Amino acid sequence: MSVLILTDGSDASRQALTLARRFGDPVHAVHMDAVAPFAPDSLAAILQQVADELNAAAVFAAGTDRGNEVMARLAARAGLPLAANCVAVTPGAPAALTRLRWGGSLLEEARLHSPRPLITVAPHTVSIEEGPEPIDVDVARFVEELDERDLLVRASDHVAPQDGGVSLTTAKVIVSGGRGVGSKEGFAIIEELAGLLGAAVGCSRAVTSAGWRPHSDQVGQTGTKVAPEVYIACGISGATQHMAGLKGAKWILAINSDPQAPLMLNADYTVTGDLKEVVPAITAEIRKRT
Amino acid sequence: MNIAQATALALALAVAGTLFGRRAWTLYRLLRSGKPAARFDDVRARARAEATVVVGQSKLLQRLLPGLMHAAIFWGFLVLFPTIVIAMTGAVDPRSTLPWLGAQGWYALLVDVFALLVLIGVITALVIRKVQRPARFKGSHLGEADLILALIAGIVTTLLLWHASQIALRLNDYPAPWAPISESLSHVVAPVAPVLERVAVWAHVLIILSFLVYLPYSKHLHILVAAFNVYFGRTRSPGRIEPIDFERPEAEVRFGSARASDMTWKQMLDTMSCTECGRCQDVCPAYATGKALSPKLLIMAMRVPNAVSDDIVWDCVTCGACVRECPVGIEHIDHVIDLRRNLVMVESRFPEEAGTMLRDVDRTSNPWGKPQADRVQWAEGLGVRVLQPGERAPEVLFWVGCAPAFDERARKAAISTAKLMQMAGVDFAILGPREGCTGDPARRMGDEYTFQRLAGENVATLNGAAVKKIVTTCPHCFNTLGKEYSDFGGTYEVVHHTQFLADLVHEGKLAPMPSEQTITYHDSCYLARHNDVRAAPRELVSAVGQAIEMPRNRERTFCCGAGGARMWMEEKRGRPINQERVREAVATGAETLAVACPFCTVMLDDGMRETGAKMQVFDLATLLAEAVERRRALAT
Repeated sequence: MSVLILTDGSDASRQALTLARRFGDPVHAVHMDAVAPFAPDSLAAILQQVADELNAAAVFAAGTDRGNEVMARLAARAGLPLAANCVAVTPGAPAALTRLRWGGSLLEEARLHSPRPLITVAPHTVSIEEGPEPIDVDVARFVEELDERDLLVRASDHVAPQDGGVSLTTAKVIVSGGRGVGSKEGFAIIEELAGLLGAAVGCSRAVTSAGWRPHSDQVGQTGTKVAPEVYIACGISGATQHMAGLKGAKWILAINSDPQAPLMLNADYTVTGDLKEVVPAITAEIRKRT
Repeated sequence: MNIAQATALALALAVAGTLFGRRAWTLYRLLRSGKPAARFDDVRARARAEATVVVGQSKLLQRLLPGLMHAAIFWGFLVLFPTIVIAMTGAVDPRSTLPWLGAQGWYALLVDVFALLVLIGVITALVIRKVQRPARFKGSHLGEADLILALIAGIVTTLLLWHASQIALRLNDYPAPWAPISESLSHVVAPVAPVLERVAVWAHVLIILSFLVYLPYSKHLHILVAAFNVYFGRTRSPGRIEPIDFERPEAEVRFGSARASDMTWKQMLDTMSCTECGRCQDVCPAYATGKALSPKLLIMAMRVPNAVSDDIVWDCVTCGACVRECPVGIEHIDHVIDLRRNLVMVESRFPEEAGTMLRDVDRTSNPWGKPQADRVQWAEGLGVRVLQPGERAPEVLFWVGCAPAFDERARKAAISTAKLMQMAGVDFAILGPREGCTGDPARRMGDEYTFQRLAGENVATLNGAAVKKIVTTCPHCFNTLGKEYSDFGGTYEVVHHTQFLADLVHEGKLAPMPSEQTITYHDSCYLARHNDVRAAPRELVSAVGQAIEMPRNRERTFCCGAGGARMWMEEKRGRPINQERVREAVATGAETLAVACPFCTVMLDDGMRETGAKMQVFDLATLLAEAVERRRALAT
């Protein structure tokens, strides 16, 4: 059995290749320039035509957002089932496969009854095996037939994310504000301190509920889990919901007027006082020293 | 007998019967294609539900005006039912009637009175719909309702006119003295009676037959199926969810509902029974706060493919207000849970943030991912006995629950309960690190698999320690341990701490001293509604302070927003439910908001902070502990 590889040379398509090898030896490949701008239906159409022409036994793709979307469209066109997020596949009729379920908490053993298994591979689960030697690429020319409709759905514009500040998940330092900050405008002093420290700005659920900060800034059980070196909590009481997002923080500094607040009891360093005085004082002190 | 009229009636009956029969057969086959549901046992409880909810109209009468309106029409039709046969007999031959019953004075009186009541009912219904226009009808088929009301009005009007003209013509000795309305009408219609008698009776018969044909195509189908739906309603605890049997052959395991054909026959019957009255929508906390879910629109959407969006499914707090309110026995929560089961276990598609809870419940046996060793931290210095492996449980096992064990605010209730039990000399112990999450949040999220694993582990621990009686402060643990674990081999006497503490007060083992502080008590859904615990918490409130009720209380309480695993989801749509409830509590003017649930504690305390309200939120155990201390301080 031979394997046809449509590849754009990315790591993701090489991962798909690794898994696809279990179906046979690769003998030829088609380098496919990504259709730009991204138009998932056109890729699905190309895949279907190539698979039909070469009577492909199976079609693999990387289980990225794009990979899953293209394969879902291919599945719909071909009327075949798609197994997404697979980590292992054994060829056969039916093909036996293992895939990630329930947000990655469960491995499912499943059988896929399909004349042509369509499979996407869960990202970062299959290590890239280097081939013993460079694959001898037999470049087959393939002329695709695309319909106007295949280009209907396409990326029309790219918008860069706003502000480009430090990300909560990777930040070494986070300055976070709670209800004690008092208002949307009150975050100016938090932002100032964070800017000075090269830190990300975080907040508690109470703050996002009040609409002072976007949900993307929320630290906690239902927000972002963070793992900074230093977490500076200003006016955050420390509900269980918030603390659940802090388990990875190395050092916690808490500023709060209530010394009995759970966060104060769980912090490594505490300052009892009004954050509206304490935070500007810290900022001033840092400015003085730098 | 008039041959022409007899032929006409036979023809009309045949046409209507065929049209009705075809549709009824289709609906019946649809029901038979539904997935199995065990709803045939417990005939006594089912008969009781039938008597109170259907015949007694108990749920409808919760709202006085619409309730009386409906009862008038419903009871009216029960009384008027034989007149269908009488009218058909009369249509063929004006001089004949039903033997015996047709000549009874008392029946003529009943018919007269109830025909009028039905007419008044229809007018009231129209006034409600056209003048009052309550919001609960939003999204219902309003035109259909108008047509149905017009048909009903037509049926009773033609009946009265027919009787009146019969009296005017002195046909077959209609017991006129017993029929005051028809009798007085007879003087008015006398000049046209010979014609009217035929027109009215035929109009009457034809409207009834049209009604019969229209019924199974309309929302008014409820008059045929609602009685069955009530009969087949759940007889065990309303808080209990039907388990999935994972031991069955793989192809037979039902992972919830992805499409209409996945529904059980009872769920299909639900969709046929809904007459779109909107009482559920009216009491739904999600709908009241501007979310995507309306329980009424959900049930209507279940009738057609692909009409339920994910948002609708995740908005539900499983508070059960809709189920409790529904006059025709629809069980909305079962639909929501089945939809969630499909989304979680088959599609792996759920609000991202809740994934953490599912993972942590699965891996660390609590929703916050805390180490199990920390489960006893709250009891440090209290001298609470931790039951060791191999030891037999004492008289009472105190099941602490995850929130009271780990959450700073919920913890106070556990501490107070432990102290009170010690004061009363109760022999009790906790499981400490061997206690696991009951699995309630996973189950209500639709992750039945994780729930059953946790249930199995906990039942093994509890049975291993020969536990008989469990006291818990968490209504969710209370419901799961007491009402759901029996499905997995765990049968215990489970008592909520408010019940247990109220008993200790009764027995004189705790002597609280009431203060002057005014207290309003917030009923937890899983206590008051799903498990009928309403009296004990109120006894405690009276034992510690001055009670003030919120408008929505007892079985008609309003959720705090945490149920159905919503505690672990972001409330991105609409207004926060907890703030809605907090405003209601603040409006009572009470100084303290008493709660009896760790989730309510956290949600409502958050709500107070968010709205800037100054009201204090305390668990009843904490208030009772203070009141007992007050008496002690006075004594010394």
